[in-house]
Amino acid sequence: MDIWNQLIQGFVTAGTPVNLLWAFVGCALGTAVGVLPGIGPATAVAMLLPITAKVDATASMIFFAGIYYGAMYGGSTTSILLNTPGETASMVTAMEGNKMAKSGRAGAALATSAIGSFVAGTIATILVTLFAPVVAEFAVKLGPPEYFMLMLLAFTTVSAVLGQSTLRGLTALFVGLALGLVGMDQITGQARYTGGVPELLDGIEIVLVAVGLFAVAEAMHAVLFEGRVVESENKMSRVTMTRDDWRRSIPAWLRGTFIGAPFGCIPAGGTEIPTFLSYAAEKKLAKGPNQAEFGTKGAIEGVAGPEAANNATVTAALIPLLTLGIPVSNTTAILLGAFQNYGIQPGPQLFTSSSALVWALIASLYIGNVMLLVLNLPLVGFWVKLLKVPKPQLYAGILIFATVGAYGMRQSAFDLFLLYAIGLLGLVMRRFNFPTAPVVVGMILGPLAEAQLRNAISIGEGSPMVFLQRPMSLTLLVIVLSVLVLPRAVKWWNTRSGAAKSG
Amino acid sequence: MSHDNRNASLLQALVGLGVVALGLGLALGAISIPSAAGYAGVGPNFLPWLVSLALVGCGAFMLYEVRTGGFRHMEEGPPGEKPYWSGFVWMSAGMMVNAALITTLGFIFSCSLCFVLAARGMRNAEGQASSGLKTWIRDGVTGLLIAAPVYWLFTKFLAINLPGLTQSGWL
Repeated sequence: MDIWNQLIQGFVTAGTPVNLLWAFVGCALGTAVGVLPGIGPATAVAMLLPITAKVDATASMIFFAGIYYGAMYGGSTTSILLNTPGETASMVTAMEGNKMAKSGRAGAALATSAIGSFVAGTIATILVTLFAPVVAEFAVKLGPPEYFMLMLLAFTTVSAVLGQSTLRGLTALFVGLALGLVGMDQITGQARYTGGVPELLDGIEIVLVAVGLFAVAEAMHAVLFEGRVVESENKMSRVTMTRDDWRRSIPAWLRGTFIGAPFGCIPAGGTEIPTFLSYAAEKKLAKGPNQAEFGTKGAIEGVAGPEAANNATVTAALIPLLTLGIPVSNTTAILLGAFQNYGIQPGPQLFTSSSALVWALIASLYIGNVMLLVLNLPLVGFWVKLLKVPKPQLYAGILIFATVGAYGMRQSAFDLFLLYAIGLLGLVMRRFNFPTAPVVVGMILGPLAEAQLRNAISIGEGSPMVFLQRPMSLTLLVIVLSVLVLPRAVKWWNTRSGAAKSG
Repeated sequence: MSHDNRNASLLQALVGLGVVALGLGLALGAISIPSAAGYAGVGPNFLPWLVSLALVGCGAFMLYEVRTGGFRHMEEGPPGEKPYWSGFVWMSAGMMVNAALITTLGFIFSCSLCFVLAARGMRNAEGQASSGLKTWIRDGVTGLLIAAPVYWLFTKFLAINLPGLTQSGWL
């Protein structure tokens, strides 16, 4: 019953008027950035990181969590109403949602995605409540070798498994690790790659890299390549669901939730796989006329399932973040950065050392979900207006906010030049299809992984065999290797047997 | 090989070379990092060496891909997509001016200027017939209307230090 007491305590903290206000502003801002093309939750949180200097930890984590969450709700609105999906997470929603909107059912699609997000978000929050403390208790027993292996797993999945090309994923990861190297070595205090510049001893600011890679690069890409792209907007209709819509949506929400949640829990990040899985499952399970709607008029299951899966994954991703300190996406990596700004290192000790903060954060997830349901169902018409912001003002405005984030952190005009340079890097990466998540994850997790590696080898008295001698770390190593090798082996086998058949 | 294709592989080769150069640069820096490992077996220079070797390897592999048909698994852009450099120059100018002038002009005016220039670039990219002074003024006012509340909100409520116009801090 200890969990309940702490959760109630969390509700008390999160329920103070000030914290409720932070949650509300976070949710509203999150919905707005989700709706606006060109800016996502990772950018928004990164731009606002400077507030960690003054706002207290609980309030700002509640605020950031609201943005993180709200963006998922808002993202689906854009992908249903515009014909260009904003982020990868809403790509699948866009497939059926767009078709529904085109056949005059935009309202039903928006309703099923908002309610589905609420259902999945709430169920996943319950899972976080129940399982995060258990995982934390277990994680206390892990030593440096196991931690290092877990981080290696996160690196591998984020760079080699997700995205189109392993080579470009790995390159992005090593660029991120290189950025993380700048500054003082955590163990010996040795300065590395600072070039004698004292400001660089603290390392490169996450804000700068994240805002440069996402916001500035996005604006540059828009001005270079998207000027002539004409976006067509689908017509809104009343946001309601018929009895039949409910009958078809509810099972899809639940299935989506149970497909999505496990993917969030493992350090294998990304919402692409669970949302596609959920979509495939719904398409397969649909019968008769419902199945005929897939890809033609737009099937409501195809929106409900992936949208629920998306939210469940995103929420459950807080479990590895809070209990192991391992981020698996851009936004969770930046949330980790926010914790670090307060001198808090997420990990198994977080539940004991900062239990008030953690439980207030979890309680705020429940509250935030309710707020978002209200913000997104009756008020959806308001958000839709944001889609009408013309591009010149939108991107120019984003640059103003980018300035706040980059300049506000250290008050150095030099950082603004650096921001431009990182924007150029992001533009090149985007142009040549390099994923950005490995850069951010590598930069933030790299120094932690290095410390764990060196501690682990110290435990092994200088021998790397320590990774093979401990059952848990050996298991993780095997998982890492199979994640790397299995997909390739299967592909090779398929092409070989295909060639054998045709030959 | 068409002109476009040759251009694309030249750019890809440059990216590959850039990655190799980054790796070599990091290796150059790694030489001066001491290896004092103590009990750890690996010292502060281990990861720098690993990262530089990995980047050189990745870059070399990219060059190999370019030689054998170009980067694999690329998403194809819309056909005939040509970058619109003049808009990009406007936007870059906005950001540079902002970086150069933020401490002298203050946050509000410097950012408004950046807004005007960036919006101009995007307008040109969209092919809007520029209607002269009126658009400039409208953009300037919009920029001020965004930058001023942002300045006020962030400095007063969130206590973030942004340079004001005057030392008294009210602007």
